[in-house]
Amino acid sequence: MAIPDISVTDSITDVEATRAPRRFLRTVLGNRKAVVGAVILLVMAFVAAFPGLIAPDDPQAAIYAQNAGPSSAHLLGTTQLGQDVFSQLVWSTRLTLIVTLIVTAIATFLSTIIGVTSAYVGGITDRALTVFIDVFLILPVLPLLILLAAYLPPGVTSLVIVLCITSWAFQARQLRSQGLSIRNRDFLVAARARGERGIYIILVEIVPTMTSLIAASFLSLAVYVVGFAASLQFLGLGNSSELMWGTMLYNAQQASALEAGNAWWALSPGAAVAVLGTGFALLNYAFDEIGNPALRPVRRKRRDRSSA
Amino acid sequence: MRRFKWLMLLAVVCLGLAACGGSSSSSASGTSSKSTTATASTVSGKLVVDNESGSTWTCQFNPFNPAVTLVSFGWVYEPLEYVNILKTGSVTPWLASTSAWSNGYKTLTFTVRSGAKWSDGQPFTAADVAYTFNAMKSDKAIDLNALWTADGGPLTSVVQKGDQVVLTFNAPSQPYFYLVADQTPIVPKHIWAALNQSSLHSYADTHPVGTGPYLMSNCAPQNIKYLNNPNYWQSSAGHPVPAVKEVDYPAFLSNTPANLFLAQGQAQWGGQYIPNIQSFYISKDPAHRHYWFPPVLNVSLFPNLTNPVLSQLPVRQAISYAINRQVVSRLGESGYQAPANQSGVILPTYQAWSDPSLTSTTYSTAKADQVLAAAGFTKGSDGIYQDKSGNRLAFTIKTISGFSDWDASLQLITQQLKAAGISVTVQDENTTSYTADLQAGHFQLAYGGSGGPAPSPGPSPYYELRGLLFGGNVGSTNYERYKSASTDALFNQYSSASPSQQVNIIHEIQKVMVDQIPLIPVTEGVDWYQYDTSHFSGWPTQSNPFAQPSPYQAPDMGVVLTHLVPLQ
Amino acid sequence: MRYLARRGGLFLVTLWAALTVNFIIPRVMPGNEASAVLATFKGINPAALHALQIQFGTGVHQSVISSYFEYLGNIFTGQFGVTAQGVPVMTEITSKLPWTLGLVGITTVIAFLIGTFAGMASAWWRGGRLDAILPPTLFIVSTVPVFFVGLLLIYVFAVKLNWLPLGSNYSYGATPTWSLSFIWDVIKHAILPGFSLVIVTAGLWVYSMRNNMITTISEDYVKTARAKGLPNRRIMLGYAGRNAILPNLTGFAMQLGYVLGGAIVIEYLFSYPGLGYLFYTATTDHDLPLMQGLFLVYTLAVLICVLIADLVTAVLDPRTRDA
Repeated sequence: MAIPDISVTDSITDVEATRAPRRFLRTVLGNRKAVVGAVILLVMAFVAAFPGLIAPDDPQAAIYAQNAGPSSAHLLGTTQLGQDVFSQLVWSTRLTLIVTLIVTAIATFLSTIIGVTSAYVGGITDRALTVFIDVFLILPVLPLLILLAAYLPPGVTSLVIVLCITSWAFQARQLRSQGLSIRNRDFLVAARARGERGIYIILVEIVPTMTSLIAASFLSLAVYVVGFAASLQFLGLGNSSELMWGTMLYNAQQASALEAGNAWWALSPGAAVAVLGTGFALLNYAFDEIGNPALRPVRRKRRDRSSA
Repeated sequence: MRRFKWLMLLAVVCLGLAACGGSSSSSASGTSSKSTTATASTVSGKLVVDNESGSTWTCQFNPFNPAVTLVSFGWVYEPLEYVNILKTGSVTPWLASTSAWSNGYKTLTFTVRSGAKWSDGQPFTAADVAYTFNAMKSDKAIDLNALWTADGGPLTSVVQKGDQVVLTFNAPSQPYFYLVADQTPIVPKHIWAALNQSSLHSYADTHPVGTGPYLMSNCAPQNIKYLNNPNYWQSSAGHPVPAVKEVDYPAFLSNTPANLFLAQGQAQWGGQYIPNIQSFYISKDPAHRHYWFPPVLNVSLFPNLTNPVLSQLPVRQAISYAINRQVVSRLGESGYQAPANQSGVILPTYQAWSDPSLTSTTYSTAKADQVLAAAGFTKGSDGIYQDKSGNRLAFTIKTISGFSDWDASLQLITQQLKAAGISVTVQDENTTSYTADLQAGHFQLAYGGSGGPAPSPGPSPYYELRGLLFGGNVGSTNYERYKSASTDALFNQYSSASPSQQVNIIHEIQKVMVDQIPLIPVTEGVDWYQYDTSHFSGWPTQSNPFAQPSPYQAPDMGVVLTHLVPLQ
Repeated sequence: MRYLARRGGLFLVTLWAALTVNFIIPRVMPGNEASAVLATFKGINPAALHALQIQFGTGVHQSVISSYFEYLGNIFTGQFGVTAQGVPVMTEITSKLPWTLGLVGITTVIAFLIGTFAGMASAWWRGGRLDAILPPTLFIVSTVPVFFVGLLLIYVFAVKLNWLPLGSNYSYGATPTWSLSFIWDVIKHAILPGFSLVIVTAGLWVYSMRNNMITTISEDYVKTARAKGLPNRRIMLGYAGRNAILPNLTGFAMQLGYVLGGAIVIEYLFSYPGLGYLFYTATTDHDLPLMQGLFLVYTLAVLICVLIADLVTAVLDPRTRDA
């Protein structure tokens, strides 16, 4: 049972621990950019969950005219094989979103554990882990991704594996800093005095106080995961028969859709990737401003805050 | 802040300049091939070739190096006789003025042409021919067609006798005429004999000396410039050959820029796969722009005959029945490659060789069902057939990643086979692994043929069919690992048969293909070819197929070059 | 001094890590990619083949430890092995390096300038219209995958409008000289790929610059400068800006890896024959030695930039010396 710390501090983390959900909702709603981002993500989630409602056609059925431009029957035209581009776009949302979320979740989890452990344990372990993190931050991501992917069979599983390996270090430093700043808080001292094990302290005491930062890390990492996954598939390291936006881009590029066919086939999955990334980035604004009050927009009307 | 504005302004100005610069340069090059008083009696004009080779030029011109043959053999180096595979029986004397078989197709005698000169002024003689063949004994790596006995071929000796060269074979070898006469570049003895004879294959040959219509004038990684050979042996007074003065051969790294270049009219002779060729290329100048894709080599589905399920004939019959070749041709290959027939003979190219009763191929899911049911297969609950021991008809198909038309075709084939109760999964591999797997037999089904590793075509269906079916080719081009003593005997008989007997033998082999289904041809692979008649005439066409028309086909592109004439 | 020693140590450790990654990956990855690939290398001299076998761990009966040290020795003498065509990896890389160096170098500088000044200006006039529009726009654009920007630019400028050429780094007929027309030709071919890179990477630096600037502006010496009546521009650039940039320099340099990755995709899209395109063709050809050599070169490039950034920071910013 954690003893809540009621001392007055200027750190945000304690406030977050007790008021996380309410504060989250208020901050998001109060921030125009975050609202837009949230809406985008909700729409994407809906499309991923119920693609049949929006695009009833079978995305892989090669039965229409080839390389047709947009029309009322085919909102984004057709592919080289005569498949409906709009259907492909809609049905690809699910796998794309799932892969993004899984990779980001695993990477954020690893990031948190390693960052916080490094901060909490301190000493040589901290030094070693910091170096470990720094090395991964410096190694150029896309070349490493390509190198790893070249050895594995093309497909979603390989994609998830290589993305996790290269993305986990992304936010580890910030999480470590946060860990460092709350290392000596009273409630942690109390837990140590109680004799709790290190792992328990890390997972049960420290991590829950960092939910806001973890959520922010999750969102900002997601932006880049979306882009990297699509880039890998665009370069041909994915499996072209899987339905994802990245593989749509690859197929369109191979068929020279931009120059010789239906340009919408080439541009629409790219736009979808951009929109999804933007959604995560916009939602992330809300968390940036929670974490650093100096960044909050200067408003003319002061919002009435309830007492801390 | 202001600095930022300046940066933006600078960017806009740059774009503006680029726009002006861009449009003027493209129109300039469009008129570059205009000549002043061009007739067939003067040499003029500049031809630009558009063929994506995938990398910048290495500026090496060794005709025995497969990577650079396409820029050297035909342009600078030439063959003894020109054999046109698009026209059965068409043989044109080239560096040899006549040739004759004797001794039951075991002796081949060439009489070399007199008056031809190497581009450095030395006379071309029979000694050069004899040297070229004998050099293959010193360096096996240049015996690309495996002619000599040491490399598994039948050639035992090559001797010069005056202006004749006599080749002796240890067995009747009529089919080797094509490889010896058409597919062997003749190189100058006075230059090549001075090199290290055991490493001729790695000779860079950066300034090639040949007998051919063009001289390699300047090579940079981005472009090769050829100028006409003023002393070319086909020229006569008042009738210079070649008639086109300059040829530029730019290097393209990928298809898209190459296609754009061609579509913008900056090149006149293309060898490209162009999606939507009608709207992208032809429509911009339909009066002058044309394309022709003559079929030459099959693209097929190869079953691994050592696989216990695929070794059963009913399974292969069902697969053949279940594939809708029309749809694969129309959608997967954009209609550029006609549907193939199960007999394996490419039509209409080899029409003269084919038995018309064997070339109709049925598409029928119902028949596929019948054949499988009669063989004791039953459909499982997932809709896929399985045999009595429960082995499902589920296979992987290997293909080359990046071959988008093959990927497209396989998407269609996957759906068609599923409808017939056979499940297939496509596996993309890079060319290296794919070739290794196919040759080692590490696959269940594979899609391959024209465009990938495949046997080379020749003046009759014999060449492709032997490559695919001869027992001795298991491990090289006989990917399905088919072995039959009777079929081998047919191929062996062909070598010593008369022309009409050879046609009958081909019919027999067609029967083998139809009855035993060792492999399943799906579409007929083609030569890619686009041409623009606004500045040049003399192009090969469907009605006048005097040579294989692609700029990458050796030595045929040399033949095309000797026919081209700049227009006024 | 200690700061430099620490950063230098990090440099060496990362370099070692990259080398070890290259050594480990072929050995731990499932399947026998490496041996299949090496089996197809025809006609390379036995010494080169042996060096490759050491690196990839195929076909040699040697302990892993001795292979490792031999491999490290090869790397430090510049022997990166040979490509599938038998060309030394070093030769291929050095021939293509200048083009990527030019493209990435120039665009990074331009993007850095744009991003930094945008961040500075937004922080200075905080809450104003500039601050509301510019940083979010630049940042949002930077989250757009670079290939999409490239595709759009290709579609608009090369295909539809035909203002700018697509593909290659100069026109096929031109010969490389130092003439004005050739330089202009090179620039024309570099505009679209360069512009794509600039658009996408400018936003990477906006926010950290802006945030640092905001913190710096609230410092006492800036208030003093204002009170003294110094012109705004002088304060913004000479006092606050200069101090705000410094802590970010190293962070900026570490972003270079991301930019290099983007350059790979851009060079592929525009068929621009630099290192990125080489990396792409090496991937499709499964030319493992070339890929690993390029990976090392990329890592080295980032490391060198980070080290330079650290040096500059150490020299210019006394705060680091107290650390």
